[in-house]
Amino acid sequence: MSQRILVWDVPTRVFHWLFAISFAASWYISEADEWLSFHTFFGYLMLGLIGFRLIWGVVGGHYARFAEFMCSPLAGWRYLRQALSGAGARYIGHNPAGSQAVLLLLVLGLAVCLTGMFTQGAEEQQGAVSGWFGVKTGVMFREAHGYIAILMLVMVIGHLLGVAMESRLHKENLARAMVTGIKEAPQGSAVSKPFRGVGALLLMMAIAFGIWWFFYAWHEPVEQRLGHDDAKLEGPHVAFVGPKLSDNAQWREECGSCHLAFHPSLLPARSWQKLMAQQDRHFGTDLALDADVSAALLEFLVKNAAENSKREAAFKINRSIKPDVTPLRITETPYWVGKHREIADSVWRSAKVKSKANCAACHLDADAGTFEDAAMQLPR
Amino acid sequence: MFRIYTVIGLVSVAAMGLATQPAFAQTPNETLASFKTAAAGDAKFQGFSATRGEQFFKAKHGKEWSCASCHTDNPAAPGKHANSGKDIQPLAPSANAERFTDMAKVEKWFKRNCNDVLGRVCTAQEKGDVLSYLLTVKK
Ligand code: HEC
Ligand code: HEC
Ligand code: HEC
Repeated sequence: MSQRILVWDVPTRVFHWLFAISFAASWYISEADEWLSFHTFFGYLMLGLIGFRLIWGVVGGHYARFAEFMCSPLAGWRYLRQALSGAGARYIGHNPAGSQAVLLLLVLGLAVCLTGMFTQGAEEQQGAVSGWFGVKTGVMFREAHGYIAILMLVMVIGHLLGVAMESRLHKENLARAMVTGIKEAPQGSAVSKPFRGVGALLLMMAIAFGIWWFFYAWHEPVEQRLGHDDAKLEGPHVAFVGPKLSDNAQWREECGSCHLAFHPSLLPARSWQKLMAQQDRHFGTDLALDADVSAALLEFLVKNAAENSKREAAFKINRSIKPDVTPLRITETPYWVGKHREIADSVWRSAKVKSKANCAACHLDADAGTFEDAAMQLPR
Repeated sequence: MFRIYTVIGLVSVAAMGLATQPAFAQTPNETLASFKTAAAGDAKFQGFSATRGEQFFKAKHGKEWSCASCHTDNPAAPGKHANSGKDIQPLAPSANAERFTDMAKVEKWFKRNCNDVLGRVCTAQEKGDVLSYLLTVKK
């Protein structure tokens, strides 16, 4: 005699699908800089979900507990071979191979979230662990993040194949069981409690986090920028707002009227010294600044120059310049040239851009000097 | 107890609001008057002309740019730097109350911009003509 019983409690199901969505979504948008803030959102969401699942694996419903489905990897392997030959026994909860997948996915998920967080903290000096590591360490984290994500994708595909295979083998729809929670089970099997309240709370917390994030990461209204009223039509654009950089009203006034006030961290000190020394031939114009104004500006510029900044762009720009070269343009530094190589000529010539030095045409945060990946948008 | 803090708070906010009111050093008309004083030294001076100022503003003077290259043909509209593409606030006082209220700033920019457009400094006559023209531009 068999009966239909509740196997997967509500929190486990909510966790499962939110986890799946987080993974799929962050993978899907991982290449696009302008979606980075969403990518990080799904990362933090996943981290929170894993935290919940670890607790739920101890205190949760019968079939959700680690003690119920924990087994040795060897048993998992043996089961996999049996199943492949069409002879695997049917389990009500996770089968031994499936339980290996669950544990591995949790571990890999944790690793991918942490390395992602460290990458952001080191390379962009942002996020929960901002400033814990230097920019150089960030490169290592970034690579680890990429490899672990690929490993996780392989696991996910394996998990999906396993579900499909099991479903055929035992003529039941395992995917649907993860939606409804109900499975066929012999009389006398343990029944799970639904825990509806916990499930609803988990879902609500995830949604609340999403809403909060949306407002937190929404970049200052684009349309406030002069002459860019049409920006309203360009659709929602979410950027990750970075830490505030050093600022100076006099510098903005004197160096920010003909062009964007290029943040001092975008060039090394020797470049600023040369620029100020040659201010009578400033790209065809005589700046004709008073001596005391020049001195004050130079002090601010040198104090915050690339070599004195913790920013990723500053570090990489400075690293790319040969020690015996003193560029007068940011747009001539090898790092800048490399980063902008792939932009089409037609974009540079378009009326909205006109000059390579018109950083604000593409970088919404150019005025703040942060040049976050996520605040980049080519004009349409 | 709390009320007294509220009152102190409100009063200081109001005081700060008053203090941060833009205090312009002078009006555009006063700026025009000082150009007049400077120009009057020339015996041939016969007053400023908005029409002449407009022609001067929109014409090229042997170099690549005119004043309008950056400030556009309509000085009441936002301009765009001919070289860097940066937005420039309107130049006409009717559209931008800060213009021509700070003599040091005015002279600084006349010096730079005239150098870019004419390759020399502008005369008081030219500055007065341009300002007379800009003062006639309606929003
Ligand atoms: C009178 C106008 C004017 C002022 C004021 C001015 N600049 Fe410039 N600057 C220019 C022009 C014109 C260019 C060339 C822009 C282009 O090629 O698009 C330029 C270019 C630059 C560049 C190179 C940008 C690049 O990477 O291509 C830097 C750096 C720069 N300026 C720094 C400064 C600093 C620092 C100050 C303040 C002391 C300042 N500028 C003030 C007109 C000005
Ligand atoms: C025509 C549009 C455009 C203009 C103008 C432009 N950029 Fe960029 N910039 C981009 C694009 C697109 C990328 C992304 C390239 C990539 O990720 O491969 C980028 C990337 C960057 C990066 C690297 C960001 C990162 O962390 O990966 C920096 C720094 C940067 N730009 C600085 C500047 C500065 C400074 C200026 C002005 C002197 C400028 N850009 C002007 C389009 C532009
Ligand atoms: C290459 C671009 C360019 C050209 C050409 C140009 N200007 Fe300007 N002008 C500017 C910029 C940039 C400012 C400062 C903008 C700001 O303060 O917002 C400015 C400011 C001024 C100001 C300062 C007004 C104030 O009180 O704030 C005056 C006056 C002025 N320009 C007059 C002229 C005249 C007259 C000409 C023609 C001889 C001219 N400009 C040509 C770019 C230009």
